[in-house]
Amino acid sequence: MSSHLRKVVLAIVALAIAAGITVAASTAASSKKDAVKAGGTYKVGWEQSFGFTDAFDPTGEYLGNAWALYSNLLLRTLVGYNHVAGAAGNVIVPDIASSVPKPTNGGKTYTFHLKSGIKFSPPVNRAVTSKDVLYAMERLANPKDGGQYPFYYTVIKGWDAYASGKAKSISGIKTPNNSTIVFNLTQPTGDFLYRMSMPATSPIPVEVAKCFTGAKANQYGRDLISTGPYMIQGIDSVNIGSCSAIKPASGFDPLSSLTLVRNPNYSQATDSKAARESNPDEFQFTVDSNSDDIYNKVAAGQLDDEVSSPSPVVLRKYLTTPSLRSRLKQNVGDRTWYITMNLTQAPFDDIHVRKAMNYIIDKQALRKGWGGPTAGDIATHIVPNPILHNILSEYDPYRTPNDSGSEALAKKAMKGSKYDTNGDGKCDAAACKNVLMIADVRAVDKAMVPVIIADAAKIGITFKVRSINGAYPTIQTPKNNVPISERPGWGKDYADASTFFAELFSSDTIIPQGNTNYSLVGLTPAIAKKIGAKGTVTGIPSADKQINHCQTVSGPSRVSCWASVDRYLMTNVVPWVPYLSARNLNVISSNVTKWNYDQFSDQTAYAHVAVK
Amino acid sequence: MIFYIARRLAWTVLVIAAVLLITYAVFFLLPQGDIATRFAGKSPSTEELNEIRQRLDLNHPWYAQFGLFVKHFFTGDEYGWPGLGKSYVNNVSVMTQISSRIARTLWLIAGAAVIWLVSGVAIGIISAVRRRSILDRVAMGFALFGISAPVFWLGLMSLWLLWFKLGIGGGTGYSPISQGLGAWAGHLILPWCVLALLYAAFYARMTRNNLLETLGEDYIRTARAKGLSERTVIFKHGLRASLTPIVTMFGLDIALLVGGAIITESVFNLQGVGWLAIQSAQNQDLPTLVGVIMLTASAVAIMNLVVDVLYAFIDPRVRYA
Repeated sequence: MSSHLRKVVLAIVALAIAAGITVAASTAASSKKDAVKAGGTYKVGWEQSFGFTDAFDPTGEYLGNAWALYSNLLLRTLVGYNHVAGAAGNVIVPDIASSVPKPTNGGKTYTFHLKSGIKFSPPVNRAVTSKDVLYAMERLANPKDGGQYPFYYTVIKGWDAYASGKAKSISGIKTPNNSTIVFNLTQPTGDFLYRMSMPATSPIPVEVAKCFTGAKANQYGRDLISTGPYMIQGIDSVNIGSCSAIKPASGFDPLSSLTLVRNPNYSQATDSKAARESNPDEFQFTVDSNSDDIYNKVAAGQLDDEVSSPSPVVLRKYLTTPSLRSRLKQNVGDRTWYITMNLTQAPFDDIHVRKAMNYIIDKQALRKGWGGPTAGDIATHIVPNPILHNILSEYDPYRTPNDSGSEALAKKAMKGSKYDTNGDGKCDAAACKNVLMIADVRAVDKAMVPVIIADAAKIGITFKVRSINGAYPTIQTPKNNVPISERPGWGKDYADASTFFAELFSSDTIIPQGNTNYSLVGLTPAIAKKIGAKGTVTGIPSADKQINHCQTVSGPSRVSCWASVDRYLMTNVVPWVPYLSARNLNVISSNVTKWNYDQFSDQTAYAHVAVK
Repeated sequence: MIFYIARRLAWTVLVIAAVLLITYAVFFLLPQGDIATRFAGKSPSTEELNEIRQRLDLNHPWYAQFGLFVKHFFTGDEYGWPGLGKSYVNNVSVMTQISSRIARTLWLIAGAAVIWLVSGVAIGIISAVRRRSILDRVAMGFALFGISAPVFWLGLMSLWLLWFKLGIGGGTGYSPISQGLGAWAGHLILPWCVLALLYAAFYARMTRNNLLETLGEDYIRTARAKGLSERTVIFKHGLRASLTPIVTMFGLDIALLVGGAIITESVFNLQGVGWLAIQSAQNQDLPTLVGVIMLTASAVAIMNLVVDVLYAFIDPRVRYA
């Protein structure tokens, strides 16, 4: 090597080393700048209003947004979650229980031991005992106290007797000492631990909540006593000396803002960092009626996160600007959107017609109405894939090219129908003309309805569309005999497929009002008479046997059991045209140094966020 | 005059009662399903629905509920007098909800009204006096723009351009006077201007047309023939006569805005009474909705009366027996 060449090589090496040092230094500086640290205020814009279903009282609160606040920040349950995205976020972990119990007595008894050192926030300031969990369960069972999902706990012995006032206690719940609680069930219930992870089961101090029963039940939400790392600002100043002295905590104005501050009685030693890091010192949730304003403030760093829906303009901006892309968070929402068909109403009382509908609908076009692929994956069956551990991820019984619908396949299915009298693959009976379809008036409904009308017309079905602002009450009343609706969507309550099948397809859940088994799967003439449903009420297929069987199965075979129910429903009953497995979208600010998604509540994992 | 006012007040009470009765009827008779299911969970049992109905007083026919409302209104309830009940949704008393929001709505209306009245009438006068001049055409062009531009668009554009890009004003939300006059005015200046623009445009066109019509009257020619100055002719004789319909419009506009500045309040996140009305309608929150409607109906009826009384002072020909 000549001396000149050596100099050049040395110079290049020196430059490379210098560059390397510079890059390393700048990376270190950058990571130092964005390092996750405790402190600061995490500010969230909340569109329109809090919209809580029971005024933030955990006994009756059924809104996912509220569950995210409870589970991540305010309330601890016997068992819970690590508040992370994906399948790991659906795994049960101990929270105030020292471990996740194994069921005994043939799957009918669950014994929980409480950790020591768990205390209620001020102004209660005392240790949590098993009796506080029992009190929460009694509050949930008492219909006067506004519980919105007591049906999950009717498997506990003596629950119904207590709920109806025939017993003074729930015989199936025992508290042999302050740190033990035992649940005895009437039958093996494979998802019981999931049920005990729901916020209504978190311990409630009787000395405060006794003031909020009956007509005043849900006013407890204004003075919620925490067991988690945060509490409502000002709750420590509330006088709980007597019921009449209790005033709402200053940090919660149900109309405009909720501020959470650190709970001084929370001990990180009783929790795990994997479940709750609890980085910010404060959380501020502020109602803002202007969604554009929320996103502008997030962009400007005046807010850090949002509980809203990004408009197509906002989405485009974050998807097409490379520097912003990492601030748009897309996560599987464990929710299926679908078209429901009523098995009692012509022409959908014929399975061939329902199959033809599954073939003809252009699911890609429907998804476009939701904003395209960003909105989620095309749904090909009932339960979102993550809940079934992806067993059915390739299952698509009505597969069409590019999910855009197939006239040929639809007509082939229709040919088997009694409503196709001339066998040309088109419905030519009067029952297929002017079929009532209930739609809503959201932007997505307006985009989807023309697609459904055009597609169905190809197989001879025409619709008379009635658009209602808030269509659910109409389709939830079976005596309205709604043949078809494009409105429904269903999300999990917890990561078990029973929260889909039991609620949506069990004949037990067919009720006169608030009915969610829209298709009336399992309807019998007796039930039809009771609820006022008319039409073809005999010979309706049922999935009760399969659902009841899977409810008792535990362990890994439970998931495959539910997968078989999904397949059965999609091929033997065909109550829906599922079209979208929705994704949840969040936009965060540049101030956020750590963010995660809570798969349990399908919201931001506030337990794992951090700001600069 | 006193008898006239007493008679009108009696009618006002009847009108408000009729409005509320219709509200109740519409609320319960529209095909929206059982309201109790809105506050129940998934698949509620009959017992649970009954409990909710009982808790919300929904277990009576709608007319009986109306009767209960009237009774509580006059006798008061646990939150004091007048008894307007509490929200179905968040348990906050309706009186508290309205009183915590009325100030921001009234400030919005007051500021905007001053702007639109002064600017609208001034532009109208200039346009009428300088008819067909460049000034007139520019003013009427402004009026056309003000009338045509939707408030939500103007609001969003002004926020984006003036606040977000240029940093003018305090942005969205409401800041009470107690937190500083500057912050209060900073948060209201954009909503004032946006809300005022629409009304200023109307007032400018109306003032111009009325004034032009009045200036063509015989008595104006007589006034000029008597040698009165143009200023006296326009302001003393012309404007006074053409102000009567403006006063009517002004009174009713202000009253309607008490519950009707919905778009402005939403775009600027002021969360006033109009916003509350929309929220309560969307949440099927009857007590709050009734409270807001009552407030708005009372404002309209009372402003109507005030306008009628003011006529007597503006127009000497009007006399009330």
